[in-house]
Amino acid sequence: METNDKLLKDFFSENKKEIADDGFSNRVLRKLPEAEYRGWIVWLFAAIGFSLTMALGIYTGLFESIYKSILLINIYYLLGAVFVFPLLGTFFFLFNKNRNYSLV
Amino acid sequence: MSNTEDIRWVTQASLFGDKNAFDKLTRKYQSPIRRFFVNLTAGDGSLSDDLAQETFIKAYLNITAFKGISGFSTWLYRIAYNVYYDSVRAQKKYADINEYEIDNLYQTQNEFSAEKMDIYQAMKLLRKEEQTAVLLFYMEDKTHNEIAKIMNCPLGTVKTYILKGKEKLTLYLTKAGYGNK
Repeated sequence: METNDKLLKDFFSENKKEIADDGFSNRVLRKLPEAEYRGWIVWLFAAIGFSLTMALGIYTGLFESIYKSILLINIYYLLGAVFVFPLLGTFFFLFNKNRNYSLV
Repeated sequence: MSNTEDIRWVTQASLFGDKNAFDKLTRKYQSPIRRFFVNLTAGDGSLSDDLAQETFIKAYLNITAFKGISGFSTWLYRIAYNVYYDSVRAQKKYADINEYEIDNLYQTQNEFSAEKMDIYQAMKLLRKEEQTAVLLFYMEDKTHNEIAKIMNCPLGTVKTYILKGKEKLTLYLTKAGYGNK
């Protein structure tokens, strides 16, 4: 039984050839009909999400308490916290660019 | 290229109608799909390309129906399988035409090597369902479960197709001296 399997596997792998594209994909691309634009779905969900966040933020008083907390923070800490984002962003960008390097 | 990339391209194609994203999928899968058709049509390259083109266009038009439960490749083979059987059914309308003459006609149009002739001759020994199951299993490395999804039939039936196909092919290949090579 296993011998038969091997015989067939060898036979099919011998005959398994990659077919060169030779313009096939371009011909398919040219024949593709115009599809209906459904990008509005993204905007619809973004609008719903934004509205919900705003409604909940205002209703629960979350935005107000965040605003009050920010006012209580020392301005230098605040600036430090804001400027750390570009630094971290640059670090992760460089790290991703050279993936062959590792932190460990 | 991974399944994650497939999902990204499928999402772009289905949500934004992004043809370039779909083009990437076409380029990735054109070879296995065309090879599948070439082997099913006994080396008829022109018919295979027509069927493959139809498969990709149908996939693009119905891409929103892809749920991601099975891989994109399995879904694409399912469409290819349907396209092939639609074509077989259409050809049956002309069943009175001598099949031998058609085969000879194709042989003059296609590049046949002795090795390729062997696989096409071997495929002719099998029933259409057996051909499909055997090709998907041995040539395209699909699992029994994936083949069952592609052919939309029970797992046991797929195993039977493969088993029967294997028996016939083993006999043919042994007679052709393959086991002794």
